[in-house]
Amino acid sequence: MEVIERAIKEGRKILSEYEAKLLLNQYSIPTAREVFVRDRNELKDAGQTIGFPMVMKGCSPEITHKTEQGLIITDIRNENEASEAFDEIYEKIKHFKDAGVLVQEMVKGKRELMVGMIRDPQFGPSVMFGLGGIFTEILRDVSFRVAPLDVKEAMDMMMEIGAKKILDPVRGMPAVDIEKLAELIVNVGKIGLENEHIKEMDINPLIISGSTPIAVDALIVLDSA
Amino acid sequence: MNKKIENMKRLFRPRSVAVIGASEKFDKLGFHVMKSLTTGGYKGKIIPINPGAKEIMGIKAYPSIMACDEDIDLAIIAVPARFVFQIFDECHKKGVAGIVLITAGFKEIDDPEGAKNQELLRQKAESYEIPVIGPNTFGMINLVYDLNASFTPEFSLTKKGNIALVSQSGGMSHLISFLSQRQDIAFSKIVGIGNRLNVDFYEMLLFLRDDPDTKVIALYIEGVDNPSRMMQAIKEIHKQKPIIAYKTGSSKSGDKASRSHTGSIAGKYEIYVGALRQAGAILVNSAEELIDGAKALSTSSIPDGPNVAVLSGQAGPGMAASDMAEKIGLVIPAFTPKTQGRINELLPPMAIRTNPVDMGPAWYDAEATKEIIDVAMRDENIDSVVLLIMYASANIKAVQGITDMLKEWKQKKPIMTCISAPPGIWDNEIRILEDSNAITNYPSPERAARALGALWEYKKIISRG
Repeated sequence: MEVIERAIKEGRKILSEYEAKLLLNQYSIPTAREVFVRDRNELKDAGQTIGFPMVMKGCSPEITHKTEQGLIITDIRNENEASEAFDEIYEKIKHFKDAGVLVQEMVKGKRELMVGMIRDPQFGPSVMFGLGGIFTEILRDVSFRVAPLDVKEAMDMMMEIGAKKILDPVRGMPAVDIEKLAELIVNVGKIGLENEHIKEMDINPLIISGSTPIAVDALIVLDSA
Repeated sequence: MNKKIENMKRLFRPRSVAVIGASEKFDKLGFHVMKSLTTGGYKGKIIPINPGAKEIMGIKAYPSIMACDEDIDLAIIAVPARFVFQIFDECHKKGVAGIVLITAGFKEIDDPEGAKNQELLRQKAESYEIPVIGPNTFGMINLVYDLNASFTPEFSLTKKGNIALVSQSGGMSHLISFLSQRQDIAFSKIVGIGNRLNVDFYEMLLFLRDDPDTKVIALYIEGVDNPSRMMQAIKEIHKQKPIIAYKTGSSKSGDKASRSHTGSIAGKYEIYVGALRQAGAILVNSAEELIDGAKALSTSSIPDGPNVAVLSGQAGPGMAASDMAEKIGLVIPAFTPKTQGRINELLPPMAIRTNPVDMGPAWYDAEATKEIIDVAMRDENIDSVVLLIMYASANIKAVQGITDMLKEWKQKKPIMTCISAPPGIWDNEIRILEDSNAITNYPSPERAARALGALWEYKKIISRG
């Protein structure tokens, strides 16, 4: 993969969120629509492409914990708010390498899941599925399978978490499209198998929009020696 | 490889056993090994090896295996590590088929020399194609062959049956045997693979697949060097013989310093559990669950579905079993109208007559109890039964009254029970039922329900294609 090769050449340990999403797209994993902008001129076009309300995130291969650093602004409703948000974020990140702002559609959905991958020295690429967002580390409600895995095994992973009912119709929300979700989990295993330089990855949150899972944030950690 | 597995057959069913380091002294392991063999009823030839003795426990001893003119199938080694290399060479020359290496002081010690020596010894054993159980093990017991090749004679008190336990821990193996002795859980083999010189879970699984004495395989796992081989073997075997596994080590969590959420959560334990399930093992969370599940798998049929009838002589135990059953994904459905109608005729409307059934009002009426069980287990909505009977002076005939019917039914659908009484009362009745596989009995309603969960889990595993 091009993005990985470049990052390795540059001796980087992570991909930027934008790069990570490009990789996910190559594996047919649906991601939130987004545009990477470097200045206010580009911002105007981006606003038109993405539409309001939107989300803005600071983006650089040197940034990992965006929420903790106040680098995510959500529910931006018009051009004025967009300009202010851009300035606010850009001010904090301009000294980082390849800094810019990711302008993203605001994916609506109350259910946040996650899918991850870790390269275990004994088992090889192992895929994790579980609750996403702030619940990931609080509840640790997750299940694992070793790649390669098939759709049935991905379904087993979903049925193994304590909160599996989150996949059913709840509170007026439709059931999660578990076939799509299973396919996505299988593809994360493929990413692990086909890209030996990826050490760990998170798709978190994976927001269920309607019934469809959409990768809203992604982190890819490289094993660049 | 094939020769090694082939040799394992002779290792577990030897015609003769040499005890290298046999002793009359209580503080030598060789003493306890001799005691295990002699009191365990081993029918083959026992050959004590000790350069300083003419006779041990009344059996002629030899200074070395080379000095003995008999053929030796199995050598049990209980001498210090520094002698082991030479003994391996002698075993090879003598044509020994297998070794139980009780000796410690290899990979498990702090000194890196231990691991180095183990690797050298492994190469030797591999080149000789001799399978080695150990080092650093209590040994192994082939119960159905009356062979106790361990340093604990009391392993022989374990009931003979068809569960094979393969364990990475000596302590857990002892615990599992003692717990099982109290609950009549019956084993074909108990094997402490110790530091796994050249017989690991993988080799044991391949061997047990073809072992006619073994129907269920129970594993206690801490961690191995090459888990993929073990998973491959489980994948290949689990449909033929159920494999139930207990993996410890969940307290060691992932890398807290990791940048990703996945990295900070993913410990070895979590990945092991995922991989074991993926391979087709039934996972449990305690030694107790391991033996309970293994007991159900070894004595009962496999249910077609999750629907269970809970039949209880008293309301409380029925609720306890129902709670556990639902928690682990079993279903407590309504009976067919025909069944329910008959139960309503048999039970006065003084208690709950729908599933879970409180059979309390039929206490004095053994015939009514019997028929309720009969119609419930034959109900087409029902895949299995949890039957709970607590002794009371007034219902002393209850178990006797249902014995013939249950023996005839023979768990065509699983019947997990908690039939409980003070020691001495019903012991015989329960044993008669268990010996004919008419019921699988547990010390508590919760454990009976949870064991049924292991059966249902197995059904799901083998159905997933």
